[in-house]
Amino acid sequence: MSIMNHSRRSMLQSASCGFGFLALQGLCTQQAAAATSVGLAAQTPPLPARAKRVIFLCMSGGPAQMDTFDYKPQTGKKKHPGSVARFRQHGDGGLWISELLPETAKHADKLCIINGMYADTGIHAQSFLQLHTGERLRKRPSLGSWINYGLGTENQNLPGFISLNTSKSSIYSSAFLPSIYNGTPIGVNGEDMSAATISNVVSDHLPLAAKRRQLDFVQSLNRRHLDQRRGDDKLDSVIQSMELGFRMQASAPELLDLSDETQATLERYRVGKKFKIGTCRPTDFGRQCLLARRFAEAGVRFIEINHGGWDQHKNHRRDLQANCETVDAPTAALLEDLDHRGLLEDTLVVCGGEFGRPGLTPDDGKNETGHNARGFTFWLAGGGVKSGYVHGKTSNTGDRAVEGKVHFRDLHATILHALGLPANDLNFWHEGRDHRLTGPDGGKVVHELFA
Amino acid sequence: MNSLRVAISLLLTAIVLSNVCAGDESTLSAADVQFFENKIRPALVKHCYECHSADTEEVGGKLLLDSRDALLKGGEAGSPVIAGKPDESLIVQSLRYDGVEMPPEKPVPEAVVNDFVEWVRRGAPYPATVSAAAKEGPVHDPESLWAFEPPKNPPIPDVQNKTWSLDSLDSFVLAKIEAAGLQPTEDVDPRTLVRRLCYDLTGVPPSFARVEQFVADHQQAGADAVERLVDELLASPQFGERWGRHWLDVARYGESNGNDGLGRNPTFPHAWRYRDYVIAAFNADTPYDRFLTEQIAGDLLPADSDQDRDRHLVATGFLAMAAKPAKAMNTNFDMDVVADQIDVIGSGVLGISVACARCHDHKFDPVPTRDYYALAGFFTSSETMWGTAAHEGLTAPKTDLHVLKAAARVPPPEGFVETVLVPESNTGKPKPIPKSKWPVGTPLAMGVRDGKTPADCKVNIKGDAKKLGEAVPRGFLTACRFESEDSIEVAPKQSGRLELAQWLTRGDHPLTARVMVNRIWQHLFGTGIVRTPNDFGVYGERPTHPELLDHLAIRFVDDQWSMKQMIRHIVLSRTYQLSSNASEALMKSDAGNLLLTRHQRRRLDAESLRDSMLKVSGQLNLTPADGSIIRHRDILVNLAGNLHQPSNHRSVYLCYLRSSPPPELAAFDLPDFTSVTGQRDVSTVPNQALHLYNNPFVIEQAERLAAVVTKKTENDEVRLRFAWQQVFARDATPQEIENAGEYLRVTQTELSSEDKAWASLCQALLVTNEFRYVD
Repeated sequence: MSIMNHSRRSMLQSASCGFGFLALQGLCTQQAAAATSVGLAAQTPPLPARAKRVIFLCMSGGPAQMDTFDYKPQTGKKKHPGSVARFRQHGDGGLWISELLPETAKHADKLCIINGMYADTGIHAQSFLQLHTGERLRKRPSLGSWINYGLGTENQNLPGFISLNTSKSSIYSSAFLPSIYNGTPIGVNGEDMSAATISNVVSDHLPLAAKRRQLDFVQSLNRRHLDQRRGDDKLDSVIQSMELGFRMQASAPELLDLSDETQATLERYRVGKKFKIGTCRPTDFGRQCLLARRFAEAGVRFIEINHGGWDQHKNHRRDLQANCETVDAPTAALLEDLDHRGLLEDTLVVCGGEFGRPGLTPDDGKNETGHNARGFTFWLAGGGVKSGYVHGKTSNTGDRAVEGKVHFRDLHATILHALGLPANDLNFWHEGRDHRLTGPDGGKVVHELFA
Repeated sequence: MNSLRVAISLLLTAIVLSNVCAGDESTLSAADVQFFENKIRPALVKHCYECHSADTEEVGGKLLLDSRDALLKGGEAGSPVIAGKPDESLIVQSLRYDGVEMPPEKPVPEAVVNDFVEWVRRGAPYPATVSAAAKEGPVHDPESLWAFEPPKNPPIPDVQNKTWSLDSLDSFVLAKIEAAGLQPTEDVDPRTLVRRLCYDLTGVPPSFARVEQFVADHQQAGADAVERLVDELLASPQFGERWGRHWLDVARYGESNGNDGLGRNPTFPHAWRYRDYVIAAFNADTPYDRFLTEQIAGDLLPADSDQDRDRHLVATGFLAMAAKPAKAMNTNFDMDVVADQIDVIGSGVLGISVACARCHDHKFDPVPTRDYYALAGFFTSSETMWGTAAHEGLTAPKTDLHVLKAAARVPPPEGFVETVLVPESNTGKPKPIPKSKWPVGTPLAMGVRDGKTPADCKVNIKGDAKKLGEAVPRGFLTACRFESEDSIEVAPKQSGRLELAQWLTRGDHPLTARVMVNRIWQHLFGTGIVRTPNDFGVYGERPTHPELLDHLAIRFVDDQWSMKQMIRHIVLSRTYQLSSNASEALMKSDAGNLLLTRHQRRRLDAESLRDSMLKVSGQLNLTPADGSIIRHRDILVNLAGNLHQPSNHRSVYLCYLRSSPPPELAAFDLPDFTSVTGQRDVSTVPNQALHLYNNPFVIEQAERLAAVVTKKTENDEVRLRFAWQQVFARDATPQEIENAGEYLRVTQTELSSEDKAWASLCQALLVTNEFRYVD
């Protein structure tokens, strides 16, 4: 896959070869670049693709898998750690899902549950970074940046990687990949999501027509400036990106404005509903899910939405219930809408956090849990994965994955594979060697997950 | 890992083995020994020793594999080897993941399994003593370790064009250009040169009058005019603000911790003192060796006055700026802080990434884990003082701070009320604000001081603070080579930071001077002689001009580590004063400008862009800002909303909160300041265009500029000429006047407002490439 190997410098150089980003993208997959529009032109992936985009429902803090998707009933005479929430089987696949997620459970036949996830560390920040970038100690390109590097974007008026209600920039950073693949953050964790927007996307100091005239005037000065500096195509890239920015002024606010949604839809997604109980902070998860759907419809390649608060140490039952209630109905509404609109076919939905938690032992009076990176749960939906299916399992006490084990690097490889990208060959030359998302060990695509 | 190990040991117990023979030493053939040393021992070290060697605290299945005797003795399940019978040997079964899975993380490659099969078939020959070959570290290609050898003073190369060079450094550049059969491009014109110098030395553009004056001077005095300008700029207080900012990037300076991983981001209310220290140090031309010593061991230096003492203590803030991950549930917290300190010394000062060695011997760089813990001892023997961490113990425990003696007491303004409170994590109710242990307004500083019981640091096996190996005596990077061998002893009762500073600032240190002159070069040329400024190691790029780098490094030390002198030498060189334009042929022959045949056009960084807008709109306040907007605020930034306030001071004085950067700067590749930044990205993304179109700061500056321009006169043409002079420091062309006049007329009609039309024109000028790029 030598065609997927580029150095930062060669990328940047190619980015400044007259056609701006198009030349860069053309190089990336050796496709002829049609110089009709500017931006990260969409690419045909090298392998057959099932999905075209990804929505990642990021559950930070370590969701309690044994009280959501990994049913661990008591097995012997002596009580052992396991599920304390009640479970029931759902859908044709008979998936065990907790009573705390009644709305999501209605979509059991869309879910592909991975119960054998494992990670390297129970330290939040490190595992969270590894979940996003494959590396737990250093800043590396995020999954969404790698995907945009491989595929480009479908919408020339929007960035290809959007991270909603986000935390650290290292989570959506393009690191050493060219910065055009950097995620665009909308809303910061802990702030009111209803006010969240793309910085500086609107201003009413000039009507749009006057802004257009102003930009035309700027561009005429820029072109003359460039004429006197022939051969410096960085200046040319700036001229191009001024145009994309201009177009975003029209396209992005419209997408962020939910006023064209019906009351019923807003209700279904629970937009604006704020839970504030224990570790569960209000994240307006409903708004995030609805925005994710809108961005997916608009062709954004990778959308991440976030709900933290899963780090419920002390009041496990109460906080878990609040967290589940926060995400349950919005998640269900998102799955429902994607399905009805025919988007689920080529949108891969991924849900999970940086690790899981040990179970509680019923009736021992304790209500406190810690971290567990040795076994936890993710689920996928759409994008060509099996539905109503469970992959892998943990031990009887749920303390560790024992079958069908999937590491983050395997999950990453699987997501890239769904998009038609060769996980272990999607390389980028940096500081004297090739780097890839799946790291030196590489990731194993979990082929069993695909229908 | 642990549970896997337990599981394995149970399995091991269940299997009883016999008939062990691991080769009697006397009978081992040379071929067997060679096979073992080449194939088996490296695999044992790599895949098995983590859990099965004497260095491990908790041995898996009580089985050791690090010696012949241990192998024969076996573990809980007896010996894993049945000589001659690979299929029945547990070691082979485990490697095949047959019943038992070893190593637990992932199977070893097939080829390695086959080696073990062969080894057991041969009777598992295991030499009793470690061979010399195995004791030696990994073998390195000497060429890749160039940076660990002391710089040699290279002779000034002969060049054909004897009159071209202005400084000896030019000959190094020209020699390579001539060797490639090329010639450098033409000299830059004086108008461009003055703008380049003003930006490079002060970060602020020259006024039109100043440009005109320099052009006239230059016509008369030539190189003398350049020299006068350079000396004037080096002496201006704006020099320290510009170059101090460069160092603050290296020092990962931030005014808050940054997200701790749990969404909490406590302020550093006293960090700004370190910022002011750095700016003052550059303005005073503090020698670089002294500058480093103050930052690493200022608390241990003698001081002549309270001011001196304060300054030294504030300097140690350099070591206290870690972006710490949360303390909660993090047993490695203390070592995370140390890791940051090692990284800022490693990447920042030495240009070598030492970080990997926290967990394993560095695969390619010659930095063994022992070196990492030898350095760690300096910091584990010190106390790092970041302050209260907003009284949020889950984020970081509270620490003491340096109390300053000479600095002014500044109490909060009258009526100041702390408004952002930390909620109880359980109830969500606000916690009461703990009373400070110091009287209100006490001048405080972050920093370090020696701990109560200095001691060597134990190796953390695989970077886990709970798995301790042997203690490593405090010391330095063993790979560095020196001219002279006078070794620096670390006094056992002290942290040893002073000795660390002495070692780093040795005149013959192979890295310190090279790394700094390369940083200086990079800030003047856009790219370094080594294009990976934080990595001079095996992963880093090789210098494009190795002799030039050594020449400069040696000059730097000979000039008493004077940074101003080094900058002066470079900007007065012919190489620096080349045009950024070149013929098409030359652009093609030296596409990446690796030969330095021309100057590199650069975009203004975030700070310079903002400062320039303020300057041309007449708003820039050149007095240094007093303190910081958060100097009285010990709070969690994430709960506070936007803390930033408009300011007309230079950008370096804005509040550099991590994870919450100043909105006027955020769009233009501001680093996140959580680790050493050697070179900022220069990205071109649409968010920047949006910033230029719609950011209130930009709009305000455009309006201010329009007000200045329209106040000048009633005549639009004169106004336009003035606008061009103000923004571009040049006269407009007739064509430009005509186009702009036409634009104004149409816009004014459309917006029915003269003010708005002028503001929109001024905004247009401020966002052009001409304004935002330096030739």
